[in-house]
Formats: sequence, structure tokens, C-alpha cells
Amino acid sequence: MVKSARGIENLFDSSCAFFWFVVLLKQTNVLERVFAMQQVYVAEDLPLGEKLKILSDAAKYDVACTSSGTERQNGGRGMGNCTQAGICHSFSADGRCISLLKILFTNECIYDCKYCLNRASNDVPRASFTPQEICDLVLEFYKRNYIEGLFLSSGILYTPNYTMELIYQTLYKLRYEYHFWGYIHVKAIPGAAAELVEKTGYLADRMSVNLELPTAEGLKALAPNKSRGKILKPMRLVQNRMQENKKELVVYRHAPRFVPAGQSTQLIIGATPETDFQVISVAESLYKKFELKRVFYSAFVRVNEDEHLPVLPGGPPLLREHRLYQADWLLRYYGFQAKELLSEKKPNFNVLLDPKCDWALSHLELFPVEINRADYYKILRVPGIGPKSAQRIVRARKMGTVDFEDLKRMGVVLKRALYFITCSGRMMYPVKLEEDYITRNLLYLKEKLPFEVGNQTTYRQLSLFDDCHIPYHDLEGGGTEEEVLRAVQGLEAAGNAQGQRAC
Amino acid sequence: MTTVFVCEDSLDGILTGVYDAWDSGLGHGNVRLEVEQEKTLELFCQYMPVRTDRDKADKVLRTIRNRLGEESTEYICQAAASSDGRKADAIYRMVVLGLSLERGCQVINCLTYGPVATVMELSQKTWHEAHKLMGFVRFAELYNGVLYAKIEPKHQVLPFLAPYFADRLRHENWMIHDVGRRLLAVYQADTGWVLLEDGQLREERLAWVSEKEERMARLWKCFHESIAVEARINPKLQRQLLAMRFRPYMLEFAGKRGEKEV
Repeated sequence: MVKSARGIENLFDSSCAFFWFVVLLKQTNVLERVFAMQQVYVAEDLPLGEKLKILSDAAKYDVACTSSGTERQNGGRGMGNCTQAGICHSFSADGRCISLLKILFTNECIYDCKYCLNRASNDVPRASFTPQEICDLVLEFYKRNYIEGLFLSSGILYTPNYTMELIYQTLYKLRYEYHFWGYIHVKAIPGAAAELVEKTGYLADRMSVNLELPTAEGLKALAPNKSRGKILKPMRLVQNRMQENKKELVVYRHAPRFVPAGQSTQLIIGATPETDFQVISVAESLYKKFELKRVFYSAFVRVNEDEHLPVLPGGPPLLREHRLYQADWLLRYYGFQAKELLSEKKPNFNVLLDPKCDWALSHLELFPVEINRADYYKILRVPGIGPKSAQRIVRARKMGTVDFEDLKRMGVVLKRALYFITCSGRMMYPVKLEEDYITRNLLYLKEKLPFEVGNQTTYRQLSLFDDCHIPYHDLEGGGTEEEVLRAVQGLEAAGNAQGQRAC
Repeated sequence: MTTVFVCEDSLDGILTGVYDAWDSGLGHGNVRLEVEQEKTLELFCQYMPVRTDRDKADKVLRTIRNRLGEESTEYICQAAASSDGRKADAIYRMVVLGLSLERGCQVINCLTYGPVATVMELSQKTWHEAHKLMGFVRFAELYNGVLYAKIEPKHQVLPFLAPYFADRLRHENWMIHDVGRRLLAVYQADTGWVLLEDGQLREERLAWVSEKEERMARLWKCFHESIAVEARINPKLQRQLLAMRFRPYMLEFAGKRGEKEV
């Protein structure tokens, strides 16, 4: 018999057992349900500073923060304009650009996506802005040149339509009451009515729907309330409306513009076991079939404890994300195709070399390229030459012969390009056009690898016999990236490793 | 013997220098242009100071615009705003080359010719800094509603920033203060902007900020902190993209100066 009424802990041998009891309660959501009502009530009365903190913190896992794609002058009333290239206003401690005031309208959500910090079953402080508060913040920040505009996303409050309506009201207020001409990036909420999405699209510069996981299976596993179809529907809607709008604009120059900066999406990398090949194939088809402006990749950060989520001891797969962005640029600006870079047989990117170098090394038969004669697209495929320097080369050679010294001044990265080019039939140094030889030299350059790798690996002189005669199939084969890394670099401890795959 | 024309460090100064150097009839190979700066004088050189003349500069600019095209003019103006000492001579050589070509606008394609490459490089650097500052300028609202910002750029970027902000903040009164050059770009709402020297500025009044200012600054700092993802903290990357030299005038980094990251 328990006689003491001092507290629930007396029921247990030790406080430790009590602790487990609470954990148990938490897991079954009992506590959340009890406190849920109270939390919402508290959230209503939060001061603006608190709300901003909660709702910007909740929005930070969205990668997109670009303000590019629209060129617009101030409309005469109100303030603001847009520049084509976009402008970064600051950089946060993680090195990402801060261009827009990136916030959620609310972090309350009816969905329970496993990877998301704001999922319904999480015990986090909840808050919601009012449209007026958002307008005030945007205008005051914009006036002081803190930001380039607004990035407004949201959790699903009550229903998708209700949430979309709130977002629409906010944008309407900003554009028509305050005459704000800055950049607005807004999320189309999957499942919201088509009219609402369309109405909002006329007020925004860019719209995005996050695909989140590259495959339908992944989505089903981690986001049980979402489906591929539900996400692709608003995407298609925006695309169709943009095409119609283009025709309207030809006839009526001053017709309202629908999503002038195009639409974008985001893929989470490393939460599900997709390969790089699958990811860039998805990205490629989004660019081709949905005419997206950008696909963003977000290295998975484990914010929730959940059995369905992979454990990544090395931190988020930042190197993998970096390689995917490099490949993404190759798709959009360099005329590459996904199947050129990777294949079913070789499904993941090389950790040590960027995708372009990697491609060039396996297509040595196409090199060397003669700078003074080859066409633009051939030059563009040389490692170390980007669109800017390729354009400069094409312009400069109209007026005279281009030499290595000139290339250097034009911004070509010669230490990488020199193995693949000739100027007037001459190579820069007498180099061999052999895969092993070039790989060895490129690696010896100590290519600036991203932070995590640069910090963990120690470089040493490569030995011709130990390191570089690894048959190619070994590199491609079953081995994980760590094994490859170890094999190529001869590191004793690549240890807790980079670019870790979720297995 | 080489004759060195020493001109004032401004667009007008350099263009007057171009005029005088050409006009001297000494031959392009025997003249050189330099901007005024502390430098060791060279032996076997004759130094000729150039008196800046607006009319001469206008004439040269008109010729450049007509014969070398709008794009080259833009590059030359941007290069002239650079802080690099090579600019005056490079501009002179580029103009000489441009005027000798049948189609002067082709001169921007002559990237294999050193001076043209230099002009392009300098103009790119200036533009790059101007573009960065378009984002990094931080205005503070003063007690009378005027927005005031301080910058300390390497290159003379105020003439590029002013028209941009004039369009963006069309109905506000604002000024941007180039602390290093002691110059001010002042804009009056709905009118236009002017470039002034800051001698007349009453510095003590610049500290009187509006009521809202402190609150907004705090909100911004709070946003700046909470938007970073902890798992990806990377000060090296941050430093690469946002150089330390911009930070003293950006409020989100105020008080964080000199802090060493591990």
C-alpha cells in the first residue's frame, strides 16, 4: 500500500525509474495532448522578438534563400526593387547567404513528417505571426537594408486552404497596402485549392513546393501525410500558369506577372537510401519536365529522434551535398546530362574529384582541346574553365591568338585545366594524357575540399605504386565511400568519415 | 625620356590626363599616366602634373562613348573608380587602341592586350565590391527619420551605390558615408542624390537614433543568430563570403570583432 501522498516519484524505487515513466508518457504523446491546448494559448501572447526567434529557427532548414530571377524597378509608390542577380545581405555562422527574411507563418502543423522539426508530435514551442506583424517586420528590415525581401513558408494550420489563404492575405497587404516592390518567395502549400495558389502566384516572385525526398517510396516512409501526386500537382499548376502568362505578356505588356522568377524545389539528401544518380536524375527531369528554375539540395540534419531516420555520426553529409550542387551546375549551365555523369553501374560521385574532373578523366579521348579553335561547348567541358572564362576566350580569340598567360588573366584555373588544353597546338608543360598520371597530379594540388574533409584528412606524398594503380572497377564496386577514400589516399583513419551514406 | 602625366585620382582627372598625354604629341610610347599617390619617383622621367579640366574630360568621355561604345565606357568608368595605381595608364592605352580600331567597340574583346585585360580586371573588382555593399550597407534610422549608413570600401563605389539606393528607397531621406574617403552620398526623398565632402557633417547628431531603431536592430541580430543551422557551423566559409573588413559597419557583427573561432 502506498500511504505517502508526497508525489508520484514515491511510487518508484528511484528517481531514475520515474524518469523512464515520463519518457514513456512522452512517447505515447500523453503529455503533449494534455499540454497542447495550453501551448497554443501561450503562443498567441508571445512578444514579436520571441515569435521571430521561434519562427525563423523553424524555417532555417529550408535551403532556398536566393533573391535572383526578377529585374524590377521601384513602382513609384512605396519602396523596393529587384535585381536580376539577387543580392546577399549577410552570411550566417554556417556560411549560408541571408538574402530574405526567412520565416514560417506558423510552426503549428497537422502533418507528422518524420524529418521535420515542426511535426505535429514534436514538443516544441509554437507560435504564429499575424499578417500585420510580418508586414511591419519586412518593411522595417527592408528600409534598413537588412534584407532583400521575404521568404514565407508555413506549417499547415487547420487545413491547407486555411494556411494558403493566410499567406495570400499577408502578400496582398504587403504588395497593395504598403506597395512593397522587393522580392517575395512563397511556398505553395500542397493540397491547397488551385485558385488560392494562382492568386498568390500573382503577388510573389518565386514559388516553391518542396519535393523533400527524391523517390515516392522515401516520401511514403518519412512523410506519411504527403504523397508524390499531391506535391507535383501545384508544381504543374504553377508551370502551366507561367506558360500562359508568358503569352499574355506578349500581347499585354503590363499584364500582371505570374511568378516571374520561376519556381524551385528542395530535396533532402541522406535521409533515405537514394543514390546520387537517382537524385540528379530526379533533378534533371524536374528541370526538363517542370521547367524549374532551381533544385536545392539539403544535407539531412537529424533534428528528431526517430527510428525511421538514419543516424549520421559524421554530421550532415555536406560533401555529398556539395558534389550534388556541382553536378547541378553542370546540368544547368554546362550542357551535361545526368547519364553522362553517373550511371547505374557507377551510382555515386567520386569523393575526391569534382564531377567535371571525374567526367573528363574518364573521357580523355576528347582531349586535349585546342583553345583557339574548339567550339564554345567543347571549351566549357574542360575542368577549370567555367561559362565566364569560356565566353571570354571566345571573345578574345576573335581579336588575336590566346596564350596560357592570357588564360590566366581571364580567370581560367590553369592548375586544373593545363592537362586538358593546348594553345596553338602547344601544351603548357610536357604532360602525359593518362588517367593515372592526371589523377595523381590533380589530387596533389590539394584541391580545396569542403570544410569537413579538409579538416579531417592529412595529406602526404602519393606513392605511385601503392596509391594510384587501383583498377577502376575496385573504385566503382561494392565498396563504400570510406573504403574508396582509404584505398586511394592510404589513410589509416578516414574514421568517422565524410559523405556518409544512409544505409 | 618618358614623360609621366600625374593626374588627380578621379574619373575627370584621368580623362584630362588622357587628353593632355595625347595632346602633348610626344608619341604614345614616350608617355605614361599615373594617378597622384605617394610613390618613389623614377629616374630619367619627366613628371608633368595634370590640372583637372572638366571640359577636356567631357570631350574625352564623349569620344569614348561614341567610338568605343557604351559597354567600354562603363568598364572604363568602373576601372577609374578602382584604388589600383595601374588604372590611369591602362585606360589611356585602351583608349588609344580603341581609337585605332576600325570598329572601336571591338576593343573590349582584345583581352589578349595587357592594358585592356587590366581595365577589365579593375572594373570587375570595383563592381564586385559595389555589388557586395549593396547588400552589406546597414542603415540606422536617425531621430528625424533620415537613414544613415557608414562604409569603408577599398574602391570608390559611392557613385554606383547611390543610383541603386535612390531607386530602392525612393521615398526616404538617406545618406551613405564613405569614411575612408570622407565622402557622402546624400539623397533627398523623391528628388535626386549628390556627392558631398563630409566636412560640414555634425558628427555628434549621428548618434541620435530613432525610438524604433534599437528594437529593430535587436530583432535583426536575433534573426541573424537563429537562422544558422548548428550542425553546419562553418566560420571559414562565412569569412570567405563576408570578408572581415566589411564587418565593423554591420550591426549583426558589432561586438564580435577580433573573436577567434576554434
